[in-house]
Amino acid sequence: MKKIILLVFALALSFSSCEKDDICDANTPTTPLLVIGFYDFLNPSVLKNVSNLKVVGEGMTDGILFNGSQTTSGNTISIPLKTVGTSTTYSFTLNSGNPNSVLIDEDFIKFDYTTQELFVSRACGYKSIFTLDPTNPYTHTDATAANQKWIKFISVEKSNIENENETHIKIFF
Amino acid sequence: MKHTLRSFFSICLVLSLTLVQAQETTPVKSDPKTAKTEQIIPEAPLPLVKISPEIIKNDSIPVKTDRYGVRVGVDLYKLTRALYDKDYKGIELVGDYRLTKKYFLAAELGNENKTTDDDRVNFTTKGSYIKAGFDYNAYENWLDMENIISIGMRYGFSTFNQQLNSYRIYNANPYFGEVPVIPSGKKFDGLSASWIEVVAGVKAKVFDNVFVGFSLRLNRLITNKEPENFSNLYIPGFNRTYDGDFGVGFNYTITYFVPIYKKKVKPIAVPKKVEKK
Repeated sequence: MKKIILLVFALALSFSSCEKDDICDANTPTTPLLVIGFYDFLNPSVLKNVSNLKVVGEGMTDGILFNGSQTTSGNTISIPLKTVGTSTTYSFTLNSGNPNSVLIDEDFIKFDYTTQELFVSRACGYKSIFTLDPTNPYTHTDATAANQKWIKFISVEKSNIENENETHIKIFF
Repeated sequence: MKHTLRSFFSICLVLSLTLVQAQETTPVKSDPKTAKTEQIIPEAPLPLVKISPEIIKNDSIPVKTDRYGVRVGVDLYKLTRALYDKDYKGIELVGDYRLTKKYFLAAELGNENKTTDDDRVNFTTKGSYIKAGFDYNAYENWLDMENIISIGMRYGFSTFNQQLNSYRIYNANPYFGEVPVIPSGKKFDGLSASWIEVVAGVKAKVFDNVFVGFSLRLNRLITNKEPENFSNLYIPGFNRTYDGDFGVGFNYTITYFVPIYKKKVKPIAVPKKVEKK
């Protein structure tokens, strides 16, 4: 009898260590963001900081928040791709908000891709992973034709966007 | 809430066992000195009877018989749940057969149709299951009582299908707004799972041959054939699955006992001590 009690006690204890699975854990890999690194056009292996870059999605008024601010001066950004549809267009504005309007330069990049939906868990539901179009992964245009594009070259490093541990796109300027 | 419930079940399980322990009575050994051995010499006109030394006991325990048979019934919880939960239909038939004084062969047979509506997925599970195993009655009944406080084990097997009704895509960065619910309707057939259950149960005779009882179950998955790009979040008989392999269940049964034969309870034999000089 004592042995049975011990056995049930051990079982009851093993249940108390169960993990909570009602809330999607922030560390669970879900829909990945597109990771873009900025590099020096003249020295392609060196990361280069952008100055007050504002990234706005098509049809949106506010820019993507980077650490709570709509502009960034870092050398790497992570931006979401739309999970509905197969393309996302962003405007990349350099020197955003600069009083000297000559310095402000806006370029558009449209990313084309296919999506695949994968089951994650009860709490997280599904996630999307993206595969950039093999023939035409992006379309680079300028806001005003007369203005020269500030982005000199775009290179696709990883066309399969499955996690956020690697740089998918390199932008040289 | 579910976690509170889970720990509550665990505590109940432990408590129900202490109850069993408290009710256990160790048989009082009769003092060998008081058991007399007498030889009775019959008087001449009376017919001859067997002359043999007989142990006459001073205590007067009435002859006790145990009834053996099958008990069949139904899980009331599953049956009544369909009345107030439109997303659930289910039935479970329960039965046991008394093998020995303490051991019962036990089985449950059931069918469930449940639609689970979670935050991010909505799916319907349909399927049947069977559980078979044994119960050990740890309760020492007084007189002719037939109550049961048992611990047992089951092996469960279920075949079922899942239909994903709708789902949502999780996006940690909701810049473009929350993704709408996507209808699916995709069906996953030919799924199966098997598991082991530890059962703690109580059955009480309410009148004649009718028993009511409930049982708590801790389940652990052994095999689980998962659908492609989805998961068995609910398994008929096993219930909701968690991140690990464990699950919980319970039932509330009403059963009818069909007696088949009776067996006399053997008095506890006291080994006669031979005094050595």
